[in-house]
Amino acid sequence: MKNFKTSIIALALATSLPAAAETIAITNATLHTVTEQGVLENATIVFDQDKIIAINPAKVEAETIIDAQGKPVTPGLIGSMNQIGLVEVGAVSRTRDAGDKKADITFDASLAFNPKSTVIPYTRKGGITTNVVTPYGGDDMFKGQTFIVELNGEFDSVVAANQDVLVGLGSSSNGSRAINMQKLDKKLAAAKEASAKKDDAKIKDADKVLHALLAKEKTLFANVDRASDIMQLLALKERYDINLVLVGAADAVVVAQDIAKANVPVVMDAMRNLPNSFDALHTGLDNAATLTAAGVKVAFMVTGDTHNAYQLRFNAGNAVANGLTKQQALEAVTVNPAQIYGVNAGQLAPGKRADIVMWSNDPFELSTKVEQMWIDGDEVSTQSRQDKLRDRYIAESDMPRSYTK
Amino acid sequence: MRKLYPSLTMAALTVALAGCMQGEQDAKVTINKNPYPSTYQPLPQTTVLINNATVLTGTGTKIENGSVLIKDGVVAAVGENFTAEGATVIDAQGKWVTPGIIDVHSHLGVYPSPSVESHADGNEMTAPNTSEVWAEHSVWPQDPGFEAARAGGITTLQILPGSANLFGGRSVTLRNVPSHTMQGMKFPDAPYGLKMACGENPKRVYGSRKILPSTRMGNMAGYRMAWSEATEYKRAWEKYDADYAKGLNPTAPARDIELDTLRGVLDGEIIIHNHCYKAEEMAMMIDLSKEFNYHAGTFHHAIEAYKIADDLAENGNCAAMWPDWWGFKMEAYDMVQENVAIVDAKPGSCAVVHSDSAKTIQRLNQEAGKIMYRANENGFDITEEEAIVWITLNAAKSLGIEDKTGSLEVGKAGDVVLWNQNPFSVYAQAEQVFVDGAKVYDRFDETYQAKSDFLLGQE
Repeated sequence: MKNFKTSIIALALATSLPAAAETIAITNATLHTVTEQGVLENATIVFDQDKIIAINPAKVEAETIIDAQGKPVTPGLIGSMNQIGLVEVGAVSRTRDAGDKKADITFDASLAFNPKSTVIPYTRKGGITTNVVTPYGGDDMFKGQTFIVELNGEFDSVVAANQDVLVGLGSSSNGSRAINMQKLDKKLAAAKEASAKKDDAKIKDADKVLHALLAKEKTLFANVDRASDIMQLLALKERYDINLVLVGAADAVVVAQDIAKANVPVVMDAMRNLPNSFDALHTGLDNAATLTAAGVKVAFMVTGDTHNAYQLRFNAGNAVANGLTKQQALEAVTVNPAQIYGVNAGQLAPGKRADIVMWSNDPFELSTKVEQMWIDGDEVSTQSRQDKLRDRYIAESDMPRSYTK
Repeated sequence: MRKLYPSLTMAALTVALAGCMQGEQDAKVTINKNPYPSTYQPLPQTTVLINNATVLTGTGTKIENGSVLIKDGVVAAVGENFTAEGATVIDAQGKWVTPGIIDVHSHLGVYPSPSVESHADGNEMTAPNTSEVWAEHSVWPQDPGFEAARAGGITTLQILPGSANLFGGRSVTLRNVPSHTMQGMKFPDAPYGLKMACGENPKRVYGSRKILPSTRMGNMAGYRMAWSEATEYKRAWEKYDADYAKGLNPTAPARDIELDTLRGVLDGEIIIHNHCYKAEEMAMMIDLSKEFNYHAGTFHHAIEAYKIADDLAENGNCAAMWPDWWGFKMEAYDMVQENVAIVDAKPGSCAVVHSDSAKTIQRLNQEAGKIMYRANENGFDITEEEAIVWITLNAAKSLGIEDKTGSLEVGKAGDVVLWNQNPFSVYAQAEQVFVDGAKVYDRFDETYQAKSDFLLGQE
């Protein structure tokens, strides 16, 4: 899908004025900065095709000025822990590139990322501008590394490859959960010892990744649910002084204080409230509120099918219905994931990437839609293949539908 | 195969009758169509008057400042604000009232939480035709999902067996009340359903075993063979009944539990619930029903229903749909968020929103809302009073229980949800839920918050 630029004329103007990148100002907006500035009424934001330049400048100077008429403007939402661009149709094996039997800690699925996936424009309907793509790996407990993409549909949309390390721990259908926990410990111990020797020349790629973990250049994202596993990981973090993020973490509420004390963030599905396994007996719609109240930094992900990642904002709304404040819920889909994944977005502040969404109303409401959105300062479309199908089948025509394009 | 023996009383009666006739007749062989009868009893009922509410009746009407009176288990009055003597009054200022929400597609109890191997009881994947299995025989009433669904306003739900087979077996319709037996939840007098499945699932499951079906044409062949056999079975029983009535002493046909179910469809007693995503396949299933003279029932997961909305309306088929599930297989690739709205726009249509999910069943109100708002952004003009019908009255029609529940009409079951606000808001929550006039859930009163045996005492 081709990007929808502001207009062809605007583009032509922009190219005829090479001295300055095109700047856009949105005025009269309700700006949800997700910074200490909070929510600014009747506010102005100025950005170019790279970064946010100013909030409420003394004088508004921009090639394009858009009157928001009081509508909410937020940072673009940040999706994560899904396979957008790696899986086109779940059941079609040749459209699945998110995993491989042989995948290990070095697995770089970004090489398979398809920015032309139909899932991308559809996901933009949810106001999501940045996504942290997560391979589902293979037989190894290490599933590979995350990578970060802008959802603009361009071939250069991978912002950062080989970002962080994913590990799957917890219950196993063919053996003990203890084995992987033990292996992880031993690998980190061995890597620590090896890195002390500084024999860099012959280091294997897998060990380099472990060294990066120990150097805090990478973060360990651990998919676990049971409280006992979480406690093991908190001990591991302390032992090796690594950056740790818990993913899933159904039982996190049981040990919320420990997680907060260890300063470990949690990436969770706000809608999870069934005891779907013996590792997950403490799920609840109010878990996000409980964790946040305990001082844990929470980010939301949408589990299940990647194609429904667009629902992130609705999940945030449900978390509000179950105890989070709207501000906290917005943080859980913007600034918190930005900080957890190391993305220079998620806030409306000068210097942040110009990923911006203007909404018709409350971003979390079912009745709200995305009015306009920008990724890196470029306006992007929220029209998808689904819209074309709908229009084809509601159009009046004497000819077979295939002639309606 | 062992023949069915009627109850002793029945046998005695028929023997006595036979004795009056000329010639010797064996006891008449009859089939007990209800061997696992409902033992459902409403919870303690009180007279409740809800006042000052925005009422969506489920019949396409909205009443501002409305009242609903629930008495003796049924809806006793609905209208503009009124009073009722002796009733417990709920002041619902700012709140909304709808009929109990009905999910026509659930696997609660047969694929319960926790989803461990021991609990995988929803899909008898051992033969393309397992019409002989009944989902009710798999239901685990302690599934904590029932409680979660109740908190979402679900008062009635159909439990279906899974979709691996051309014929997956019988469904059962349940009241969403806590019970330690399946029978204690069984919706009295609700018709049985028959689960059928089109498309990718059966051909994948059996194709991989190198038996029919491995293709879509194999699917159709399997259906046609089965309906042909069922037609013969029905004829054999009818001949037996007719001959017996004539005073002859015919031999009863061999009882076949599998064909009993298919015959129930041919007799109009069992309703088909057909997992069928694609337009061309639904059209063929309608033709198939005409070939064998039955009704094709409801199409579930009908992702492409919008492409054949006219056909569905003309043939009286309900379509049960999601707002936005897609992309998990090819037959789910052509999703449009306005699917339900496009189907609903046709005169005589029956558009239903369903869940097929232990998570989504808790929020069918939000699912309906998503559709209404997306459709209205794109040229439709759907009101709240119309959208609620997708998860109430139309769902009841799909299950054949629309004379009992699905709308707030005088005399119908007192299945009512009190919402804290417009139920099509993401922030909406069910505050109180009534089934047959009995309060079964209260968000603010633990007395009315049931807890599964499974979760009791879990630290």
